[in-house]
Amino acid sequence: MFAYILRRIMATIPVMAVVALFVFSLLYIAPGDPAAIIAGDQATPADVERIRASLGLDRPFLIRFGDWLWHVLNGDLGTSIFTNLPVTHMIAQRVQPTFSLMVLTLTIALSLAIPMGVLAAWKHGTWIDRVVMIFAVLGFSLPVFVVGYLLAYTFALQLDMFPVQGYTPFEDGFGKWLGNLVLPAVALAGVYMALIARITRATMLEVLNQDYVRTARAKGVGQRAILFVHALKNAAVPIVTIVGIGFASLIGGAVVTESVFAIPGLGRLVVDAILRRDYPVIQGVVLMFSFVYVIVNLLVDLLYTVFDPRIRY
Amino acid sequence: MAAPSIARAQGSKLLRFVPQANLSSMDAVAGTQYVVRNAALMVWDTLYGIDASLTPKPQMCEGHEVDAAFKTWTFKLRAGLKFHDGETVTTRDVIPSLERWMVRDTMGQQIKLRLDALEALDDRTFRIRLNKPFPKMLFALGKNNAPVALIMPERIARTDPFKLISEYVGSGPMKFNTKEWVPGAKAVFERFDGYSVRNEPGEWLAGGKRIHFDRIEWSIMDPATAAAALQNGEIDWWETPLPDLIPVLKKNPNIRVDIADPFGNIGSLRMNHLQPPFNDPRIRRAVMMAVDQSDYMQAVAGDDTSTWKTLPSFFTPGTPFYTEDGGELLKGKRDYAAAKKLLAEAGYNGEKVVLVVATDVAITKAEGDVTADTLRKIGMNVDYVATDWGTVGARRAKKDPPNQGGWNIFHTWHAGADCVNPAPYTALDAGGDKAWFGWPKSDAVQAGIAKWYDAPDAAAEKAAMAEINRASFENVTYVPTGFFLMYQAWRSSVTGVVKAPFPVFWNVQKA
Repeated sequence: MFAYILRRIMATIPVMAVVALFVFSLLYIAPGDPAAIIAGDQATPADVERIRASLGLDRPFLIRFGDWLWHVLNGDLGTSIFTNLPVTHMIAQRVQPTFSLMVLTLTIALSLAIPMGVLAAWKHGTWIDRVVMIFAVLGFSLPVFVVGYLLAYTFALQLDMFPVQGYTPFEDGFGKWLGNLVLPAVALAGVYMALIARITRATMLEVLNQDYVRTARAKGVGQRAILFVHALKNAAVPIVTIVGIGFASLIGGAVVTESVFAIPGLGRLVVDAILRRDYPVIQGVVLMFSFVYVIVNLLVDLLYTVFDPRIRY
Repeated sequence: MAAPSIARAQGSKLLRFVPQANLSSMDAVAGTQYVVRNAALMVWDTLYGIDASLTPKPQMCEGHEVDAAFKTWTFKLRAGLKFHDGETVTTRDVIPSLERWMVRDTMGQQIKLRLDALEALDDRTFRIRLNKPFPKMLFALGKNNAPVALIMPERIARTDPFKLISEYVGSGPMKFNTKEWVPGAKAVFERFDGYSVRNEPGEWLAGGKRIHFDRIEWSIMDPATAAAALQNGEIDWWETPLPDLIPVLKKNPNIRVDIADPFGNIGSLRMNHLQPPFNDPRIRRAVMMAVDQSDYMQAVAGDDTSTWKTLPSFFTPGTPFYTEDGGELLKGKRDYAAAKKLLAEAGYNGEKVVLVVATDVAITKAEGDVTADTLRKIGMNVDYVATDWGTVGARRAKKDPPNQGGWNIFHTWHAGADCVNPAPYTALDAGGDKAWFGWPKSDAVQAGIAKWYDAPDAAAEKAAMAEINRASFENVTYVPTGFFLMYQAWRSSVTGVVKAPFPVFWNVQKA
């Protein structure tokens, strides 16, 4: 097992090298110019050219890539073209809001979606099953920004229960932290609840038709124990896979929710950086995303062994 | 659980502000973005400062002496001026600050062209000696147009003018809190207790800049979110609410809505003078004949005609030297037949016109849509390239033919405060290769600008500006698409908000 984990961690190096080259190349050929944005609308073309030169953006591709790679290998993701702040600092500022949103979203999604999926499978073909499936379809179909604005309008503007926007760090108080995150997490959880509920239902349906479940029933095992002890554990592998994918995609994929609720997360950081062509920030964040993806995948693989002891690495 | 109502009642020493855009950098000399300029005006001070009548008044300076020829200017700093790090402001800081600014600013460049010496006489006195008169010295030092002549500590002012500074120490009324800066989300300014406030009443950049808050927090957010946050009392002041949201905000008794900048904005249709077909002035003129400014302004600012008007001029209406000389081509009913005829005479034969439109900016998207329709009405072959502002910013700098990555037309708009006279008006310059994007060339325009710089009195300035306006229409330096105003909105608990080309934080209070 230890050798497997080590092998997987070592495998992240070529993956990230490819990501680094790909991202750098893509940004090199993409249109846009940070110098023009820094200079502003009033600047002359000559000013823009001088700023570009001062940023080193007029240097050949290989020199720029080599320079950046050397710094990355030395643990330095560079500094933002615009703010002159280290990219690691800018990422660090955004980690807690994004991580908080992820944790709360998945907590809401898992705590509701798994029971819903189990219930729908158990009551397969009844009105309960249909209600769960209608909810799942709605969760997929309603855009997050629509749900977000509706929640904000109702629970913040009309009922004055939560703030409309913003993020309060955890260390400033659990209540404030939670208050800022409830609406965005609920808005975002809808999609994941729909996905997890559907997967749980489908997998549970398959498992509930297995011989060992029939045997358990014949032996007089209670319905709750059959569903949550025997069946759900065996249905867990695909659910864990989906949760893993959801966790990874939430790192950078919550940009719409972050924008609607003005949460200073990683998604907004990377989108702002793309719009401004802040190359070091884009490169640094994408590298970090790829690393997290690889690690999450590794954790998911390891979790398989917990739910299915037949799996060995 | 959160208690937003309780939180709202606290912190009357805190002003929560939503700026027009993300504060992505903090150097208003190397960059000319308005949002950066607005932040910088809190952190750094200026030697002189304009008031609401655009008259420069002493700010960091106690006063000045000038000879009759406007060639030797001697300035004296006020006593007791301090930077945020506690150091005293001296002429050792002023001189490199002005040197850095002179490289980047058009008026600064004019001073540099005439400069014999910029010298310190003592810690508080310095002199500018010129070889040609420069009567507009005080306006240059006190104007709000970027790049602003901000005074920085010597070590910061020595930064290459084409590189962004990385230390934000000024002598203005607010300190920039770098530790709490989350670019793209939040910027925090804290009151500078060591600021030496002038005794005169504050007006724009002139007079006493009294700050009534311990902190001013800028939050960057989506417009719909900002509208909700303002209604919910989570923010105090929103610099640029979208026109679509104004009716909702006006209905709320807790919110005040008013025009933000009395100088407004001038829309711009910018053609590439280097590339066919717009290298032919007749074709540029044909486009101007077809442009219906009402269509543009309705698309940009909506049906409320109190917020826009047509503009047969390159200059800001309502300002002392406004002129419509030569603007006939933009007046009256549009004559598409005459425009088509002129195109035919010029030999236009259906060549593709690459119209590059930043669709992520509401104003340029609206302008671009109207232009595409207008050009098609007169029979031009339009290639509408929808892209983002970042790409337009890069593409407009290319002089290549449109089919090799260049362009024929892009849109933008100019702050009216930058169009009151030729000094800050980069887009008016018609110096060919050295001019702004589009590279218009007209000796007549340039001669008019030179006359304005040398004008000894108001009458001469007015005559020079009329000459510039005529020549600019003749050359079709660009096509003004109209004049429009934008709103600002704030909670009624906030008082002292004024109309200005930038948000004026001093003398604002909150109940």
